[in-house]
Amino acid sequence: MKRPFLTASSLVLFTAGIIAAEADLPEWSDATDAEAYTLGGGLWPIGLLPDGAAEAAREDSPAMVAEGASTPTNPDGSPLTFYGPLTSAGGENLGVGNTTGEGLDEPAQAPAIEALPPIDGELRNLYFGYPPVDYLIDPQRLLTEQKSNDIKRFLEFHSDESDFKIFVMVIGETQEIPESVDLQELHREWFSEQTTVLMVYHREHPDLTEFVYNEGVRSALSQPVFERIRQNCLREGAATEFAPDQVEKMAIELSIQLYWLGRLMNAEGAEAKALSEAESVFDLPASADAPELLREYAPSIFLQESSQRAISILITIAGILACLVLAAFLVLIIIWLRNMDRIGGGPLIFPNWEPKPRLGGEFSGGGFISMSFDINDTSSEKP
Amino acid sequence: MRPVDHEAESCYSCGYSALKAAEKFGSNQVALSRVHDAAHWLRKQEKDVLNTAIDQLEVKFPQMLFCAYLGLLPENLKMSELGFWLLNHGQVKGAEYARPNENAILVILDMKTKQVGISLGYFAESLITQEDGYRALMKARPNLLNAEYGEAIETIFRRLCKVLEKRGKKLRKLSHEELQAQSKALNENTLDLPQHFAPMLGRWWRLRAV
Repeated sequence: MKRPFLTASSLVLFTAGIIAAEADLPEWSDATDAEAYTLGGGLWPIGLLPDGAAEAAREDSPAMVAEGASTPTNPDGSPLTFYGPLTSAGGENLGVGNTTGEGLDEPAQAPAIEALPPIDGELRNLYFGYPPVDYLIDPQRLLTEQKSNDIKRFLEFHSDESDFKIFVMVIGETQEIPESVDLQELHREWFSEQTTVLMVYHREHPDLTEFVYNEGVRSALSQPVFERIRQNCLREGAATEFAPDQVEKMAIELSIQLYWLGRLMNAEGAEAKALSEAESVFDLPASADAPELLREYAPSIFLQESSQRAISILITIAGILACLVLAAFLVLIIIWLRNMDRIGGGPLIFPNWEPKPRLGGEFSGGGFISMSFDINDTSSEKP
Repeated sequence: MRPVDHEAESCYSCGYSALKAAEKFGSNQVALSRVHDAAHWLRKQEKDVLNTAIDQLEVKFPQMLFCAYLGLLPENLKMSELGFWLLNHGQVKGAEYARPNENAILVILDMKTKQVGISLGYFAESLITQEDGYRALMKARPNLLNAEYGEAIETIFRRLCKVLEKRGKKLRKLSHEELQAQSKALNENTLDLPQHFAPMLGRWWRLRAV
């Protein structure tokens, strides 16, 4: 009796104890006490990512603005997003206004264009005072730093590989070469000892680009050749609107064209000049050793003369025909020799043996082969 | 084709034999020239050219006898019979001892039936197959159709000489034992039976004629 009672009472007490015990449950903190954090860990401008906490913390965080930037706005009045290099200095944060991700594919907005000063005084000396040290002459830093470095590396690489050096001079679109500066004279003064091309590029206006060659190169080939090189470079430059890309593309194209220009000069020289001067630009003779790469990169610079092409085709066909005739002739000779019953050499003695006679014939056993040669009788007889 | 052995007195197929040929043409010996133009179809120039060619061939093959017969055969005379009889009874003028009739290549032209045939002696038969002979005839067919009989005979001889030349080169490479084995193989194509009396009879006929 005692034992069940004890068991029941212990169960009741244990259950009551459980019910009476209070559990320590976590509590939600107030929003004001929550620790503020920035989504993205500061890799991107604050406010770029749509984060509520960051929105809240944004009001108290210092602004990040582009150095030297003005306050460009969208057509609806909202500020534009800036994805370029950021600096803590500056007035307001340009990334705050646009949090929708619009314009992510837009290139970095160039700083506000200020009126460029005329090339005069100290700036004139920077451009034309001394022979250039770098292949890219851009004292006003009109190109982006990264592109400038890329172009410099490319021009250095080109100068290592080619006899033609390329110097690129970048000036503003509103700037002009001073009248007192003669580029040809300057070129002669600076680059008289080496074959060099000076490309004077006007920012975002590739059509104003000027190419200055050595006089020796100019005299070696005809004007249409250089005009075509210029056209090809301008075509490449017109493929984009971004000034650094324009310079880069034009420099690459100029490098390609100069390679073939050198080949052309070596292969043709004065004779080609005389021929090209006599013909229009579209009838320029092709270099004798111009490979397919020439047609791929500069299909229009060295057009093959149509008559020469026709002659080469005719010569090829004639060669093939001659080979066929020769082969047929050899085959005929072989057939003729095989069919010719020419018996040469010394006497031929057969070993003797005595065959046994047949049909009582002493010398012949009746072996016979015959054929009819009557036109009306085509059948032939074989025993 | 049924086998023909030396014991057979006559062909198993047609019953022809040397005795029957002798009954028909005679058992006497006949004199032949190398180019025997009984039909008088060849001009002298053609005959001379053909003789010159045969001279050359005979220099090359000192054992072989080249001869030709042109005639107008009667209807009851077959070319094969004539060839068989001529080779066994003919004596070619100018043929040396080294050129017996069994080494002969006889070209027969029947101008009446417009047929050409080649009869071969035993030795020549062992060197020239029927296919070779047929090819030689076929090669001369254009000349025959153009009635250039002299050239046709020359073409046949030259073609057969090419065959002989090839055959001779092959035989030259064989050793003595191999040659003996080949000779034995040629003879073994016939049945191994006792010697036929016909050759002896032929000699007897010749002696009687003389």
